[in-house]
Amino acid sequence: MLVLRPVELTDLPQLQQLARDSLVGVTSLPDDTERLREKILDSCASFEKDVQGQGPENYFFVLENLTTRRLVGCSEVLATAGFGEPFYSLRNRHFTSASRELNIEHGVPALSLCQDLSGHSLLRGFHIDSALERTPFSELLSRARLLFIAAHPERFAEAVITEIVGYSDEQGQSPFWDALGKHFFDLPYVEAERLCGLQSRTFLAELMPQYPIYVPMLSQAAQDCIGRIHPDGQEAFDILEREGFETNSYIDLFDGGPTLYARTSSIRSIAQSQAGTVQTGSPIDARGSYLVSNDSLKGYRAIVAELDYSARQPIALSAEMCAALNVTDASAIRLIAL
Amino acid sequence: MILRPVQMTDLPALLELVQRAGPGFTTLPANEERLTHRVRWAQRTFAGQVERADADYLFVLEDDDQQVVGVSALVGAVGLREPWYNYRVGLTVSSSPDLGIQRQIPTLFLNNEMTGQSEICSLFLRHDQRYGSNGRLLSLGRLLFVAEFPQLFGDKLIAELRGSADEHGCSPFWDSLGRHFFKMDFSHADHLSGLGSKAFIAELMPRQPLYTCLLTEQAQAVIGKPHPNTEPALKILTAEGFAHKGYIDIFDAGPVIEAPVSRIRAVRDSQSLMLAIGTPDDQAPVWLIHNRRLESCRITTARARLVGNSLVVDRLTAKRLQLQPGSSIRAVPLRNQQQQAVAA
Repeated sequence: MLVLRPVELTDLPQLQQLARDSLVGVTSLPDDTERLREKILDSCASFEKDVQGQGPENYFFVLENLTTRRLVGCSEVLATAGFGEPFYSLRNRHFTSASRELNIEHGVPALSLCQDLSGHSLLRGFHIDSALERTPFSELLSRARLLFIAAHPERFAEAVITEIVGYSDEQGQSPFWDALGKHFFDLPYVEAERLCGLQSRTFLAELMPQYPIYVPMLSQAAQDCIGRIHPDGQEAFDILEREGFETNSYIDLFDGGPTLYARTSSIRSIAQSQAGTVQTGSPIDARGSYLVSNDSLKGYRAIVAELDYSARQPIALSAEMCAALNVTDASAIRLIAL
Repeated sequence: MILRPVQMTDLPALLELVQRAGPGFTTLPANEERLTHRVRWAQRTFAGQVERADADYLFVLEDDDQQVVGVSALVGAVGLREPWYNYRVGLTVSSSPDLGIQRQIPTLFLNNEMTGQSEICSLFLRHDQRYGSNGRLLSLGRLLFVAEFPQLFGDKLIAELRGSADEHGCSPFWDSLGRHFFKMDFSHADHLSGLGSKAFIAELMPRQPLYTCLLTEQAQAVIGKPHPNTEPALKILTAEGFAHKGYIDIFDAGPVIEAPVSRIRAVRDSQSLMLAIGTPDDQAPVWLIHNRRLESCRITTARARLVGNSLVVDRLTAKRLQLQPGSSIRAVPLRNQQQQAVAA
């Protein structure tokens, strides 16, 4: 059985292996022991913290195979994007100019550095073992974060965003980066993303062009990358799109990948998840697949389960499920259909 | 040769001249109606009937057979009636000592800083007349005119030199920048610009600063570079104290060169002298001489000898200037004498 739970310090060696395997653009997973240790400690403190509102907390989850004790994925949710410092994106919008005398009018799209997305909650750091891609477990890894938000809404913002990794080729070349960021950093894309993981992202963003970039002035290859998803980022995108997230005019500074946005209250796993109570010892006539979580904070657990669920009825769980979720008879749980 | 204000009777000759100049000569298009309008306006300008904001001093170069062989102009002020745009080539630095990053990115800033300055423009000399002092008379005569009537002009003179373009009139700078905002080719935009629509076109240009690193390499290479055809004009004006201070044309990135009026050699070194008739020897330096009149302005070049407060010239020169001996003139050696001394 695979269970999603908060990260612990003992996960560090395995986590580093995951970080090593993760996509270049997943900058919140640096392959750096010290940074990862800090991230784990920071997450542990966040789960411990008694907070009244959203702050700098970062909730870091891992997906563990309970049989082998192997970690097979990880994901995070940051309570506040850009807490205490701006969260930068590029906004893509049209500048319209007109000449009445010449009877010419047209719009030219331009990318402007902006902080519009600061303050929203941010889903990030999604990485799953390639063997588990496009299985219910990648749904679990992504959406358990949403169930966590549903259980603890006071800790999160009214909107949730995520940045999907943008296109780069097999050699790690990002046409968008080469056309834009490279001029301002003189670093290869991979190196810039690596630095992003190690340094503050804001710090790097502030080296980016402060004036709008007119899109037609970028190479065609770079223009084609605006809002384009890395093939390995497609699943992360698809899962959240089904949750009701939408692309908008914001893209990532470095690789041009799309940003997804949703109002917290309208996210499917949040709006439609059901609270219920556990019933042990009953046979399960499985009728459907569900994501199930307890509503704990630092004891948070979530699994994929085949259940026989009826609204407003106690939910029958097997002993194994109860053990994985760390719940007993009559415990409160939350579930959503897969 | 004399340089004098244009007259209505010059129109046919002028039209023929600008037709020879070809389509690149946008500030003086070969369009009879527009040319007539401009000549009429120039006459009113020389008659003192227009404000500085509208002043357009259009001169012609005429040989002793009353043939018009060249044209040049002096505009009282740019940008006072409609906005006048240039880019200034500035610098953006992207720097992080911690990361060892230090990137210097030339950046173009749209501005109206030349507003109110006077412009020299529209110079064309017939190919078969490009010898001797003709080119200098046509160009520098305007500077001597400014020296005589500084109150009619701004603090600075500017000149927009044509930028790089290929043999088809395509500008790499335009292709990399302006084209995206107009969806028209350079020669068409340039044509509209010559028809007086420059400000309208400029309204369509991007307002925000532009990082030159996002332009094509060909476009970056021509920023501030004059068209090879304008090299002689650039050389003459540079010797007079004009310099490129980083302003460029918004369409083709040609350099805008500028000089404070008081520091222009032909202005600073010009003196008011008395005309004397005699025999300047053949080794005497060539002078640029103005008869100090506005509406009946005559400017010419001649070998002349400076004797006390008098400038001795031959009889023909006095005739060209329409002056009698004893008349007051403004004159300056045609070439920088210090430079000549060095060259000798």
